Amino acid sequence: MLFVRPGRLSDLDQIEAMARAVRPILHSLPPDRRALEARLALSQDSFRADVDTPGEEFYLFVLEDTASGRLFGTASIVASAGYAEPFYAFRNDALIHASRELKVKRRVHALTMSHQLSGKSRMTGYYLDTMIPPELDGALIARLLSRARLMFIAQHRQRFAPEIFTVLVGITDDKGVSPFWEAVGRKFFKRDFAEIELASGGRSQTFIAEIMPSYPLYVPLLPPDAQRVLGEPHPNAVQPYSIHVEDGFEPDGFVDIFDAGPVLTANVAICETVRNGVQRRAIRSGEALNQGTPYLVANALTDEFRCALAYLPNPLPGQSATPLPADVALSDALADCLLLANGDRIRCAPLNPPGERP
Amino acid sequence: MILVRVVRADDLEALFELATRTGRGMTSFKPDRAALTQRIERVRRSIEGTAALAEQGYLFVMEETESGKVVGVCALEAAVGMTQPFYNYRISTVVHASRELDIWTKMTMLNISHDLTGYAELCSLFLAPDARVAGNGALLSKSRFMFLAQFPERFPQRICAEMRGHFDAQGESPFWSSVGAHFYQIGFDQADYLSSHGKKSFVAELMPRYPVYVDLLPPEAQACIAKTHQDTLPARTLLEAEGMRFENHIDIFDAGPVLESHVDTTRAARESLLVPVELNEHAPAGGVKHLVSNTSLHDFRVILVARAPQDGVLRLTREEAAALGVTDGGESQAVQSVVRVLPLYPKERKS
Repeated sequence: MLFVRPGRLSDLDQIEAMARAVRPILHSLPPDRRALEARLALSQDSFRADVDTPGEEFYLFVLEDTASGRLFGTASIVASAGYAEPFYAFRNDALIHASRELKVKRRVHALTMSHQLSGKSRMTGYYLDTMIPPELDGALIARLLSRARLMFIAQHRQRFAPEIFTVLVGITDDKGVSPFWEAVGRKFFKRDFAEIELASGGRSQTFIAEIMPSYPLYVPLLPPDAQRVLGEPHPNAVQPYSIHVEDGFEPDGFVDIFDAGPVLTANVAICETVRNGVQRRAIRSGEALNQGTPYLVANALTDEFRCALAYLPNPLPGQSATPLPADVALSDALADCLLLANGDRIRCAPLNPPGERP
Repeated sequence: MILVRVVRADDLEALFELATRTGRGMTSFKPDRAALTQRIERVRRSIEGTAALAEQGYLFVMEETESGKVVGVCALEAAVGMTQPFYNYRISTVVHASRELDIWTKMTMLNISHDLTGYAELCSLFLAPDARVAGNGALLSKSRFMFLAQFPERFPQRICAEMRGHFDAQGESPFWSSVGAHFYQIGFDQADYLSSHGKKSFVAELMPRYPVYVDLLPPEAQACIAKTHQDTLPARTLLEAEGMRFENHIDIFDAGPVLESHVDTTRAARESLLVPVELNEHAPAGGVKHLVSNTSLHDFRVILVARAPQDGVLRLTREEAAALGVTDGGESQAVQSVVRVLPLYPKERKS
């Protein structure tokens, strides 16, 4: 069984192996053992800390196979993007250029360096191994890994900002060349994308303010191939993109400053996984159901947070999305995995948001 | 003899005929009788002192004295941008540097500017193709500096002149195609026409309001910036010889350079001399060519004389004096005319 839990320093070897496998390279999962170790340490401290308002916490989750102990993925949350520093993104504004006399009217888009995402919580560092056990449904596992973070956020709202966002990797070719970087970033940095991407950490470094354009960039003046990739996810990011969109995240007019990858934003409260989640009590009941509706089930712990998939009985037709009884029967295997005793509090949310279900 | 003089009301038909020969790129001098009549009238009021600063302007014609034929025209506006805004891009520099990454990047930007508001402008120069013989182009263009040197109190401190920008073999402006076309959504010719006919509100409505990063533009558009049209290069050389320089302003449509100068640092202001005239039929010709202008506001005239002043006087033949409308006063030195004299070309600098 695959489940999501907080990463530990003892996971470092496996996380490093994953970081080295990620393509394209993510600044949020750098192939750098010391950086990863620092992040794991920060994450452990963050899960243990008593937090009442989001600060510099960073939460790193891993996807583990109970049978082998092997990790198959990782995903993280930055409690407050940029924290004490600004978090930079390009805001894509439409400017109306109209002349009544000439009877012309046009929307001219311009990209402006914006700090507006600063302080919002950021979902990042998503990586799912392509070698997950073949008997498992990859689409379900991807949603488990991505949405487990929302299950954690739902139970620890005070640890996060009311608004969350994610920046997905933009288009690069097989040599790692980003057409947007070539047209914009390179002109300012005079360096390769990968080099600056790693140096940039979380889009908050002082050098971004020093180097990147202080005035808006007119989109129609950019080369066509740079315009085409604006807000487009890399093929490897299409699945995470749809998972977020299903949850109610919206491409809200921001793109990444380096590769123009899409930025998706959402209000935590109206996020499907948060909104449709319910608190129940767990009842250990032997065998697992193999049919019903796939649910995310998470325990109510912090440092020992765990989230896994379970099939729970189908809601009756016409009923709301939360028909679960007060006591939810879970298999012993799942209850063990989630560290649950009879009567422990759990949170359940449909894996696929209502309306997405077949 | 070739003469440059202030335009007169009876030049209308000659100007109209000349304007039919200008073709594309001369938006401020079109065969339009009503517009030309207004322009001549405007010159009259400017000279009389009844025109407001915003409309003051001077138009000069080049005439063949034997035939009375008008073969060229040039103009001087007293102060641009005083009713409709006068737009340019100012080229500015922004340095993006990071010690942490050891990066230093100099970026060039284009900023919409009204910096040249209130400058005098040299404009509307056209010389009929059959009159383009040695010295005529220089006389026509430079006659305006003689006027400026003679009547500096009628002008602001600074002058400018817009040079046509670069156009490719197909007659298209690569700068327009890469930049302006995205904003203005009309053709270059239409934009140029509207702009030069005082219908500039579309510029404010449609222009890029933020600075444009030059380094992010396509290379062919970058190459146009401050590049003078091939046909305009000789005119640019003439103006530069008079002290005008490119000072980082360009045209907003074709990116052609604007040349600028202070009036009091032009060669004419610094080096021209006022000298009395002396009529002498045996005055030698064949010397260094000089611009010679009279000092009359109402009947300003400039000719070329192949002779330098000597012993503090300029000797003129009767024909030259007649063309300039000057006299040596004969016995009565009280009415002896003075003229302004300047070598047509600056002395060549020794390297």
